Amino acid sequence: MTAGWRKKAKGMVLLAFLLACLLLLSGCWNYKELTDINVVVGVGLDRTEEGKVLLTVQVAEPGSIQSTSGHGSGGEGPTKPVFVVSHEGETIFGAIREMLATVDKKLFFSTVQVLILSERLARESLEESLDFFQRDHEVDYLMNVLVAKDVSPAEILAMESDMDTIPAVYISETVENTSYRGTGKKTMLIDVIKDMDCKGKQPVIGQITKAGENMVRTEGLAVFKEGKLVGWLDPYETRGYQFAMNDIGSAIVNIPAEEGKMSMEVFRSKAKIGVEFEDGEPACLMVKVRLEANVGGHEGKGKLDAPEKISALEEILEETIRKEIAMALEKAQDEYSSDIFGFGMEVHKYHPQYWKKAQDEWDRIFSRLPADIQVDAKIRRTGIIINPVIKEH
Amino acid sequence: MMEKTQISWIQLFLLLSGFHIGSTVLLSPSAGAGRDAWLAMILGGAGGTLLMWSYAVLSMLNPSKTLVEILRDRLGKIAGTILSFLYVWYFIHLASLVFRDFGEFLCTTTYLETPMVVVIGLFAVVLLYTVNSGIEVLGRLSELLVPVIPVAISIISFSLFTINDFTAVLPILENGLMPVLKGAFGAITFPYGETVAFLMLFPHLNRKDKLKKTVVISAVLSTLLGLLVFFRDLFVIGGDLIGRSTFIPHLTSLLIPEFNVEPLLDINLLIGGGIKISVCVYAAAKALCQITGVQDYRGFTRAVLTFAVVLAIWAYDSVLELFAWTQKVYGFYVIPFQVLIPLLLLLLSLIRKGKPQGEVPDKEGNNNAEAVNA
Repeated sequence: MTAGWRKKAKGMVLLAFLLACLLLLSGCWNYKELTDINVVVGVGLDRTEEGKVLLTVQVAEPGSIQSTSGHGSGGEGPTKPVFVVSHEGETIFGAIREMLATVDKKLFFSTVQVLILSERLARESLEESLDFFQRDHEVDYLMNVLVAKDVSPAEILAMESDMDTIPAVYISETVENTSYRGTGKKTMLIDVIKDMDCKGKQPVIGQITKAGENMVRTEGLAVFKEGKLVGWLDPYETRGYQFAMNDIGSAIVNIPAEEGKMSMEVFRSKAKIGVEFEDGEPACLMVKVRLEANVGGHEGKGKLDAPEKISALEEILEETIRKEIAMALEKAQDEYSSDIFGFGMEVHKYHPQYWKKAQDEWDRIFSRLPADIQVDAKIRRTGIIINPVIKEH
Repeated sequence: MMEKTQISWIQLFLLLSGFHIGSTVLLSPSAGAGRDAWLAMILGGAGGTLLMWSYAVLSMLNPSKTLVEILRDRLGKIAGTILSFLYVWYFIHLASLVFRDFGEFLCTTTYLETPMVVVIGLFAVVLLYTVNSGIEVLGRLSELLVPVIPVAISIISFSLFTINDFTAVLPILENGLMPVLKGAFGAITFPYGETVAFLMLFPHLNRKDKLKKTVVISAVLSTLLGLLVFFRDLFVIGGDLIGRSTFIPHLTSLLIPEFNVEPLLDINLLIGGGIKISVCVYAAAKALCQITGVQDYRGFTRAVLTFAVVLAIWAYDSVLELFAWTQKVYGFYVIPFQVLIPLLLLLLSLIRKGKPQGEVPDKEGNNNAEAVNA
């Protein structure tokens, strides 16, 4: 009897111990409720005249988002869905922590949608500034990175948007839709990091500008050379660059047509770049693009119902895109002397011996190489109608 | 008697594979070779498989004998005992290294504010329970858990299938053969040579005739899995960034859009690392119990584990010190344990086999003949 009782008691103690363990082991050491952190959605990095870091964060207020997007007004009174704070510091991480002197709760960075760099910072120290964002465990490597042109990151982050309660989400969505236009580029943090590491390719980062009281525009590219901003590409050059980099989802390309204009919807595009060698020396930069398009609109006259018409249009389309690519390439070669296309990477891969001796002056070699840009366009379909309205008898 | 406990060849296979993948899921011993590491892994895999095969042969030449017994048989009681003590040290040290890798990883990526001693200590408590449950439980546990590892690796790999650059392996052998050879050497000592701890476990295998096959298949499959992981990482993050990251597979797992698979990596680490530490602790405790002539190894497990935990925390001040030591010193430090002593024993065993003397032939004498023929 006593033995049985003792066994039972032992079992009870064990059970109690295990249950206590369950309580203790269920959470993290530094577990925090959503209400105990500040959910950062946008980060702006700037540099002051004195070389200090000016950090701006946009913090979302989960509670107020729910009440504004939900039915009716919450009785609590209107709280703003986001707040924006700036802080000056010696280093980025330093500024993040020092900011807590003015901000209530610890900043949580995994939710950051956009990282906006100022022009000044980009011109001075891209590589140095991004070290923290590579190193910190909270940072999402897939966040969008943008460079603000003619406007400070703080200004952009302080904007309110009509389209989304959280401005940073609005910005990142305009970046996402670049795959339908090609005039911008979605640059994720990891893309920038990879390019910075690579000797054979210089980084580019999407550009953001102000487009009115509460709207932004994400078009164009910021061109870097050895970790420093050297210039910009305009939307058309950007699209040429995107065509060459095989990064076009779809795009509308306008071409001249008989008595008017046509808009071609490019819906598939594949590209390859390479460097041709002659006698162990690079002789020519190659860009090959194959794309498929539909006639999306014909704002002019002229029938389309003959195959010859279509092949003539294909040639015009090819020429238009070829020009855009050439513009981007020429700018990279002549103006910036920066191999943003990654031709150097191709040389490194397929001609490692040459690369070994040429890698340090590659940008110079790249700049004086002639280019052979081949665009092969196929116009597949004309949509629901074939010919535009033509009244002739 | 303890020797009655037995594991099947499939359990041994899974234990070996889990042991192998345990740390390599985090750290790549061939990483120094950059984008050529896959060559180093193949070379190292070939050498490592040969080394593991020779451990199996050694075990078959001395059937039902653990490393300690083989050492004492071949080298005499005094020298054998001294070397056995050194092996005990090595097994404990190995366990502590795995503890530390494990702790560093978790404290770098997930539990930044949790003291490492808590992370490692809690893990050690679970492992103490595992090891004390016996080698059969460990075997069955491996059947349950080790298959999770390739599944988790596949999930991560397939999620990343769209973001890749298959030309990232180029150029091949950019910096010549030296880094590759160094990487291959590193791969042989870590993790292949570390399976020397299994010399304490091989006697538990129920079908001795399958030992060599099991060891070789495990070595080859683990190598292939390692290659898969490496190629995935290379294709996804490229040859340049690979050299700069602390834990390469972790960085890769961060790049999966929309969902967070980091826990899968942690799971792999817990399973693989857990098996590795359990095997090391078991080997050390078993060796101690055979040296001292105690019946049950369980008396030593607590001491061994505690020592390993303390050593893990105390031996290195920083993650960089740990990495530098593993890269520069470890390869040479382990040569006697992994190569010299086992090969010496193998040689002595073969010589003795050539001219049998004195001892009564073992029950598995016929198997021994096979081993020599093979």
